[in-house]
Amino acid sequence: MTLVYEPGSSFAHRLDPRPKLAVQVTFVAAAFVHTTPAGLVVLTGLTLGVLAAARTSVRRSLWEYRIVLPFVAAAPLLQGFTLGAPWFVIEEAVGPALAGYRVLLVLLVTAAYVRTTSVRESRAALQRLVPGRTGQFLGMGASFVFRFLPVLQADLGRIRDAHRSRLGTERPVRERIALLAIAGFNRAFDRADSLALALRARCFAWNPTLPELRYTRWDVPAYAFALGLAVAAVYPYL
Amino acid sequence: MRNTTTSEVQLVGDETTLNIARAALFAALVGAFAYVSFPFPGTPVPVTLQVLGVFLAGILLGPVWGGAALVLYLAAGAIGAPVFSGGTAGVAILLGGEPTFGYLWSYPIAAALIGLVVHGGLEVRDPSAVGLPRLVGAMVAGTAVIYALGTVGFVFVTGVGVVEALLATVAPFVVPEILKMAAAVAVVRSDAIRAG
Amino acid sequence: MIRTEGLVHRYGETTAVDDVSLTIDDGEFVVLAGANGSGKTTLVRHFNGLLEPDEGEVRVDGVRVGDDLLAARTAVGMVFQNPRDCFVAATVAADVAFGPENLGLPREEIDRRVATALAAVGMDDRGEDRVDRLSGGEQARVAIAGALAMEPSHLVLDEPFGGLDWPARRRLVAHLESLHRRGTSVIVVTHDLRDVDRLADRVVVLSEGTVVADGAVASVGPELVQYDVRPP
Repeated sequence: MTLVYEPGSSFAHRLDPRPKLAVQVTFVAAAFVHTTPAGLVVLTGLTLGVLAAARTSVRRSLWEYRIVLPFVAAAPLLQGFTLGAPWFVIEEAVGPALAGYRVLLVLLVTAAYVRTTSVRESRAALQRLVPGRTGQFLGMGASFVFRFLPVLQADLGRIRDAHRSRLGTERPVRERIALLAIAGFNRAFDRADSLALALRARCFAWNPTLPELRYTRWDVPAYAFALGLAVAAVYPYL
Repeated sequence: MRNTTTSEVQLVGDETTLNIARAALFAALVGAFAYVSFPFPGTPVPVTLQVLGVFLAGILLGPVWGGAALVLYLAAGAIGAPVFSGGTAGVAILLGGEPTFGYLWSYPIAAALIGLVVHGGLEVRDPSAVGLPRLVGAMVAGTAVIYALGTVGFVFVTGVGVVEALLATVAPFVVPEILKMAAAVAVVRSDAIRAG
Repeated sequence: MIRTEGLVHRYGETTAVDDVSLTIDDGEFVVLAGANGSGKTTLVRHFNGLLEPDEGEVRVDGVRVGDDLLAARTAVGMVFQNPRDCFVAATVAADVAFGPENLGLPREEIDRRVATALAAVGMDDRGEDRVDRLSGGEQARVAIAGALAMEPSHLVLDEPFGGLDWPARRRLVAHLESLHRRGTSVIVVTHDLRDVDRLADRVVVLSEGTVVADGAVASVGPELVQYDVRPP
């Protein structure tokens, strides 16, 4: 199971999606500028604060992202490694190791957003931030992706099961991939036909009423936090 | 009877509606491919089929809607759909939060480029009629874009050198990528695939 | 009122609908019966302009469908076979709100319509449920709510009972009955007349794209079997 939105009543749940997006963006910027031991200590504190505001568990989030973690660890090992004695140069590995830790913090901050923001809010924010037909295309298109991702995952699972029982696993990888892709893309084409029909029947329009977004006083501290991160990101260059 | 100001409604045209639906379903399929991995000969870790999704989006939907499908993939991931590798999501990842972010940005460009080469322009034609050299050439060009941006992104995020980055992001994937190209050709040439 | 005049629809060489002239009045409960491939689905997809006629024309409330697609699509609500494939949003309320949102209605009106539509099919308080976790019968009812939220004068249901068990089927029929009683005209496309026969004012039988019988259940009944329609 991957990390997905769960309804709740945490502080982060009550926030408008826009300041939450702002925090993510400014957090990455600040983290890039301050990828130093001292900077990362401060950022760790902030990350824990964000997760607490979202009532999201650090351990669970890391577990959900476990597939990514080896890649994060690989970079410093790769950089530190040298052909010949002393085989590993610690000074070489420090930069990538700090960067890897920064990646970890950013992933945790995104986890807090994903856990506390519904598709509806997210797409409403997207449609407000990107105006006109482009915004409508991105917002509605992205919400259809949310809707059909689990459907196609289930399709692919069923197709693989059927192939396993029918074809076994002796066939060459290339052939198994091609068969899966053919079945998968045919399902995607068929489901797109059904979706298009449903959209037309229900007057799919370029200018619908958007889901409501309303700022509350809780959004003030969230924006202030984002502003603080933005200042931290540009301060060293002033 | 009904208090609708219907005259102001701008309906999305029928053809555009179908194209948007296809772009969204293809984007979802590329996302679903992130969870499907195969063991490849000579490759230590299982490799997912995402890049195959990028190839086929360009080939089957053409440059405009194939590229648009991958733009929707990025948009959905940015607002929280777990479609990026490893089930991650969030706008921060598109901004360099994760070492793979260069790959992500390369996908719409690669899909559009592959579509452009395969279809020889913006008009979509029957991909099964396209010659093998053009098909393979398109995918090689697309893969070059993916690796170039992927490597630059990896260097930028992790701070490793270019050589180390190439070792990490290109070397292990050469064999899988060739097999995926072969699979893509088999898909396009198959009688069983529905053409657009 | 839905009215077709000499309607013809072809798929390549095959003529799916062949010269059909049919009038469905406001408030009627019509069963459109026929075997698979008899042209039922193709015919009803002309009612809201999902297909364009090759010959003839279709009018909804006197206006040619092609001249005002928006009017036809708001007046004729359509519930497709396999409703699961037609949900556009991940949760129930978001899906039902989709139609009224496209009409550009104010938010309070949309909320009112979603609540009314969900109540009409007995799915109130289920608004936040995920659509893919619903049972087949619940999915069918949410799909109907999605069409009802457009406040159509006609509701077309294409094979609504496919895959439903008997209790789900009975419950769905009961909801259709109450909708009909409140003035919506209901058009059920099916190859199986059980349960709907007692509600139907009229049964129209289609075979090979043409209307072969049209009348009350009692008068049409004896002919049904020869057209591969399951009698009541």
